[in-house]
Amino acid sequence: MAADLRLMIPTEESFDVDDRELVQTIRTGDTAAFEQLVRRKTTKVYALCYRILNNGEDAKDVAQLVFIKLWENLARYDPKFAFDTWLYRMVTNVAIDFIRSRQSRDNAVNSNLRLVRTSIEAEQGVNVQRKEIEAVFNDVSAVLSPRQKTIFIMKEMEDLSSAEIARVLGCRESTVRNHLFNARKLMQEQLHRRYPEYAQLWRNR
Amino acid sequence: MISCDVFRKRFTRGTSDAGLLEHLRGCDLCLGPAVEIDPDAMFRSLGGEMTPPGGVDAFVGEVMRQVRLRNTETAIVPPRRLGWTRRAAVAATIAAATIAGLLVYQNNRPAVVQPRVARAVLAPEMTRPVIESYESQNATIVEMSAESASDVKIVMIFDESLPVDL
Repeated sequence: MAADLRLMIPTEESFDVDDRELVQTIRTGDTAAFEQLVRRKTTKVYALCYRILNNGEDAKDVAQLVFIKLWENLARYDPKFAFDTWLYRMVTNVAIDFIRSRQSRDNAVNSNLRLVRTSIEAEQGVNVQRKEIEAVFNDVSAVLSPRQKTIFIMKEMEDLSSAEIARVLGCRESTVRNHLFNARKLMQEQLHRRYPEYAQLWRNR
Repeated sequence: MISCDVFRKRFTRGTSDAGLLEHLRGCDLCLGPAVEIDPDAMFRSLGGEMTPPGGVDAFVGEVMRQVRLRNTETAIVPPRRLGWTRRAAVAATIAAATIAGLLVYQNNRPAVVQPRVARAVLAPEMTRPVIESYESQNATIVEMSAESASDVKIVMIFDESLPVDL
């Protein structure tokens, strides 16, 4: 009951102005409005950076860079489009550039080291640990290209549709589906090879 | 966040229900059962928002500090933007200077001097032979064959009867 009541009470979030209106205010040079926007988007932006980069400190640096670029390029935002689409595009571009610049092939080399035995015990049913899944994902996704990985993350973890991802990346929806299919196939192969117990759980759709 | 009971009753394969996904990403107890229903829940469970190290306040503070710093830098040093007329003038000046330099270089280029060594090879000095004729019973005379008429002819004389200090 308490939870239901809470849902009916307007939260601080619901009083907030729309992203587009906030951007209009920021364009007048209002740094307080920009601070509000940064606060609103920090957890989303950081989460996406973290999943693409697999590193908390790198993700923090890249997320900060994204917001600084946002401040510098806000005049170029076209309010016809959803603000989040524009923001996600900026995040993916900066994060992918970062991956390329740091030559993340090191991760692929390290990924040949297998994790310590995971703890899925058939007799007790499936006992899936979130940290293990995260480690397995970081491991098997190292074989993906930055673009494939970004698409997979946006689809499976950010819950964007293929059409939304296509708008973010500025490509066709069919290209997104293609990348997604290849990403899943590559990850499935990696799981079969290195984590057969997880491959039983996660198979290609 | 919805309760575990509600989640387990309502969770279905491929769901896009925001409430169910929020629970999936926040509840470790329901992760296993969810993966049994929908294997994709395994990686989908990794989604959701995340707080940066140090917290949101520190993160936002750092971003705003950098933004203010950049604003100050921009105010102190305004961006140098040249109009198209000035850009054209600069381009024309550079082009003119390059062409003038090339012309001056072409006119003042020093004459090429033939190397002495090459000339010496082309016109070798002819020397008279030290011995024009030689007669001896014991001497061995060896004439080196020349490849052409202009080559110096070498004649070697071996005579044991001659004094050593000749």
